Amino acid sequence: MATGEDKEKQALKADWHDDKPKKDEQYQKLIDEMVKENVQLKEEIQKLEVELQEATKTAQVQEDIPETKLKFTSLENPENYRQFLNTCCSFQVSPHFTYELQKGEALITFEKEEVAQRVIRMGKHHVQIQDVFVEIMAKPVPLKLGVRFQVHVEVSKMKINVTEIPDELPESQMRDKLELSFSKSRNGGGEVECVEYDKQAGSAVITFVETGVADKILKNKDYPLYINQNCHRVVVSSYIETHLKKFQVFSGISKRTVLLTGLQNVEVMDEETVEDLVNIHFQREKNGGGEVDVVKCSLSQPHIAYFQE
Amino acid sequence: MSATEDTALYSGSQFRFLQEEQARLKMRLQELKRELRNCPQNKVPFPVPEVPLVFRGQTQQGTEVPKSLVSNLRIYYPLPGGSALVNFDDPKVADRVLQQKEHKIDLEEIRLRVQVQPLELPVVTAFQVSSQMSGQRVLISGLPAGLKLRDEELLDKLEIFFGKTKNGGGDVESRELLHGGVMLGFTKDEVAQNLCRIGQFTVPLGGQEFPLKVSPYMSGEIQKAEIRPQSMSQSVLVLNIPDVLDGPELHDILEIHFQKPTRGGGEVETLIVVPPGQQGLAVFTPESC
Repeated sequence: MATGEDKEKQALKADWHDDKPKKDEQYQKLIDEMVKENVQLKEEIQKLEVELQEATKTAQVQEDIPETKLKFTSLENPENYRQFLNTCCSFQVSPHFTYELQKGEALITFEKEEVAQRVIRMGKHHVQIQDVFVEIMAKPVPLKLGVRFQVHVEVSKMKINVTEIPDELPESQMRDKLELSFSKSRNGGGEVECVEYDKQAGSAVITFVETGVADKILKNKDYPLYINQNCHRVVVSSYIETHLKKFQVFSGISKRTVLLTGLQNVEVMDEETVEDLVNIHFQREKNGGGEVDVVKCSLSQPHIAYFQE
Repeated sequence: MSATEDTALYSGSQFRFLQEEQARLKMRLQELKRELRNCPQNKVPFPVPEVPLVFRGQTQQGTEVPKSLVSNLRIYYPLPGGSALVNFDDPKVADRVLQQKEHKIDLEEIRLRVQVQPLELPVVTAFQVSSQMSGQRVLISGLPAGLKLRDEELLDKLEIFFGKTKNGGGDVESRELLHGGVMLGFTKDEVAQNLCRIGQFTVPLGGQEFPLKVSPYMSGEIQKAEIRPQSMSQSVLVLNIPDVLDGPELHDILEIHFQKPTRGGGEVETLIVVPPGQQGLAVFTPESC
């Protein structure tokens, strides 16, 4: 915004209360401008909000696990008694370190770290492709952060969650009604060890004495709760605890692989030929190179390159 | 009041309203910019351990790839005493066996009555984990390779050292051995901050002293874990087996029973028995691995 305009606005603001109707038009103009500015600000805010959301999402790991066929492998006898109280599903999550190889870029992996670092230090390289020398820049490969962790999800064999409990009785009375209803074996219940009732949330956790009762009740989605003469259907669901273990953030660093850029104008050739030419150039010691493991370049469309430990 | 005065008043309040709105919007914009700058996106405000990686030629076209790899999927299913798990070759046999809820097994002198049930395993189908900087936890790195200490011993030594106030430490609440480092969690916030500020420590480990680095720890939290029951179509759970036979004998008798086509059975792949009074944990893994 120009400062001149600002001054004009200041002036207008100053004599706002002068009540000069002839200035109405100018006020209107000012208001319109203000409206426009605010709309712009709102747009900018929206854009940033989306960006922020995206950014926090990358700080999160979110994955779907495809269904796989499971088979029985072994019978274990752990010392930890707790393990008998839950069915546990656990797995390990490790990052896929990838670099999105753009058009005109190549990755080259050298056998030795020193060679890769020397090639990066030299920066510019002139690689002969057909009859021209193409200027290529060597850079470290920017790799993202990764997280590694274990997830343990325990589904209780002894406890169930109860929700949508009507708020009709004082706390201690309701606790007794819950215990009575869930003890009824004709409804699939069994001896109750304890009831944790949250009156405000209308929910409870029921712990049974024996295994198998929870499974039996959970065959249905609801359960009858008797309060005096009335029967309410309360919702029952698995009692689940999740644990995150060995959570670790770390960064990938590429010591032997180098990123090469500047191959945009050689698209007339196929990737394999260019890869061979790059390979030949960089395996020569007089070019600062050394023994090459692998070269991959992208001339027409991006590739995802996987990095491994 | 004249019409023009009215308009002027109206415009006046509209103008003030817009002014306030603009101030509010500008503030929100600043706030967002600040948040975005502080956001942990690929940029943790402190160095994290580095893992050397190399490109070996594996590529894939397109741009959509899963960010992580899920491995070591295991399901632990507790089996109560007096139960058995029968895995048939053919799911149709399991189906047939399950058509009767109770099976009677005739022996010379007695008749065993057992209940059969289908087996369902809870499997995680989707999860979401978020990370943030932890106020109470630190990461200890720089542990020498080839230390002649067992995991538990190493954790004990570190807890002893960093539990002492003279070393700048305090009460340790949690500890965990990680890939090339150790996480220690303290009961008090200021302990973690203080240790990170000092950064370098010389710690005795197994008769020798080593320089170790203490840095902030990014901790994670499970935001979501979706579970779906997966039915094991080839398996049958046998429950409430009475306590009349020994384990090995019981095993054979059950196997013979469930293999008899006349009793609805068929080829049994595996059969495991948990005798009454004992407990067992059946482990399931993906078939392909």
